[in-house]
Amino acid sequence: MSIRLTAAGLAILLVSATGCSTASKSTASGKITVVAAENFWGSIALQLGGDHVTETSVIINPDTDPHAYEPTAKDARTIANAKYVIVNGIGYDPWAPKLLAANPVAGRTTLTVGDLVGVKEGGNPHRWYSPADVHKVIEQITADYKRLDPADASYFDQRKTTFETQTLAPYDQLVAAIRAKYAGTPIGASESIVSPLADALGLTMLTPQSFLKATSEGTDPTAGDKTTIDRQIGTKQIKIYIYNSQNSTPDIAAQVKAAKAAGIPVTTVTETLAPAGSTFEQWQTTQLQGIQNALAQATGK
Amino acid sequence: MWDYPFMVNAFRAGAIVAVLAGVTGWFMVLRRQTFAGHSLSIVAFPGAAGATLIGVGAAYGYFGFCVGAAVVLALATRGRAGHRAQESALTGTVQAFALACGLLFVSLYKGFLDGTTALLFGTFLGITEGQVMVLGAVALTVLATLAVIGRPLLFATIDPDVATARGVPVRALSVVFLVLLGAAVAEAAQITGALLVFALLVVPAATAQRLTARPVPSLLLSVLIGWVVTWAGLAAAYYSSYPIGFYVTSFAFAGYLLAHLVRWVRP
Repeated sequence: MSIRLTAAGLAILLVSATGCSTASKSTASGKITVVAAENFWGSIALQLGGDHVTETSVIINPDTDPHAYEPTAKDARTIANAKYVIVNGIGYDPWAPKLLAANPVAGRTTLTVGDLVGVKEGGNPHRWYSPADVHKVIEQITADYKRLDPADASYFDQRKTTFETQTLAPYDQLVAAIRAKYAGTPIGASESIVSPLADALGLTMLTPQSFLKATSEGTDPTAGDKTTIDRQIGTKQIKIYIYNSQNSTPDIAAQVKAAKAAGIPVTTVTETLAPAGSTFEQWQTTQLQGIQNALAQATGK
Repeated sequence: MWDYPFMVNAFRAGAIVAVLAGVTGWFMVLRRQTFAGHSLSIVAFPGAAGATLIGVGAAYGYFGFCVGAAVVLALATRGRAGHRAQESALTGTVQAFALACGLLFVSLYKGFLDGTTALLFGTFLGITEGQVMVLGAVALTVLATLAVIGRPLLFATIDPDVATARGVPVRALSVVFLVLLGAAVAEAAQITGALLVFALLVVPAATAQRLTARPVPSLLLSVLIGWVVTWAGLAAAYYSSYPIGFYVTSFAFAGYLLAHLVRWVRP
């Protein structure tokens, strides 16, 4: 009885598992469909592609913590329809490669920023805070566009020149200016997102590396690190304190309060584009100006 | 919806898991081993987290931990069907330890653990062709084994004393079934998440057994209900932004309420 029954179950099972095909649909359109896992890369990709691409970013809500992002069916559809996909990698968006693997499409190009700049899993994933890496990504996106759409190669070259020499000029100038004036200034920060920028600006990060990483990854910081940070703030060893307002824990809130009480200028950065509608360069320059003002106030230079 | 390979894979995987869970769950409910099944599903969580931690595919973690825990439970209670109290106490102990391990793995993992929520409450996005094949192969093995032991297992379940007297290896069957249950839970957990495995394992079986007492129709009904709620859940999750676990569980629960209503209206 149950033998026959189970055999019937097996039969339906086999039919269901083999009965449908996974042939994928091809979308015919003159433009390159670009999907970026995060909107900071998406903003750059859109400006480089101009009106020869359509761009969609998956993580756009400033209230979403990208580390803990769970993709929706809509995201899976968006990625499935893409011709060109930009993911950050370095364990920052592990859901993205999964969605890509579940939906193989012939002729799709994927740019993984971590692989491009040579940072492995476990390293600092916040590459968009490194001006050098941002420029590497720009080079690669344009090269990929030209390969996907060779007819418009000169258009993409021209977009890139405009973007690098004009659009990003205030950003590059601010980085250089802060570096020239304030290099070597000791600073404190809430998480590892600040580290690549601090390196580029020549600022000396005094906050223990393990604390920065713990905040970024949402794990518990050690008591020793917290004591060190409290001492650095109390004795004003750090000149300014930079924190990620999108990833603030009670520990961070307490540090911000202590820094303000000690008269240390506090400034913020965010994980993704804020406000949501701004461009990469608007967002970054505003934050860099904040850092510049804080440094000026702290050092009197 | 069918244009996307990821959705086709999800429907395939959903069908495989629903059929397997429907059959094993039916035996589980009949054998009153729901609590053992619950604990095995909890074990799926440290399994997946541990596999991520050491860098192997989550599927290995699911199968390794669930089947491993099933063997431990089976050997520790040595299949003594009469010792339900002892079995449930041991099961509870294993479950608590497993949850603690899962928590440890999540915090040990250096980097961002990909969606703890997904491990606990399920996701249907990102199922690859290879995973469907693995799910299918395991399901075939479990169902084939059940086909062989199905009749004596049913006998041993309904009347263990008479079965023993007739020479049916009641204890051995109990061990084998627990291992099969472990494998079935490991499969279901990959779609519904560790905590909502019951949506597919218990609810369809419980609903079917409410509707009819005859073994064959109720087993078939259990499979059918599981299949329908899974596919309906997938379709609903595709067209909205809410998680699959919620839909599958709610549809299954609605079916259960409906079954009660049917019994009540038609005594």
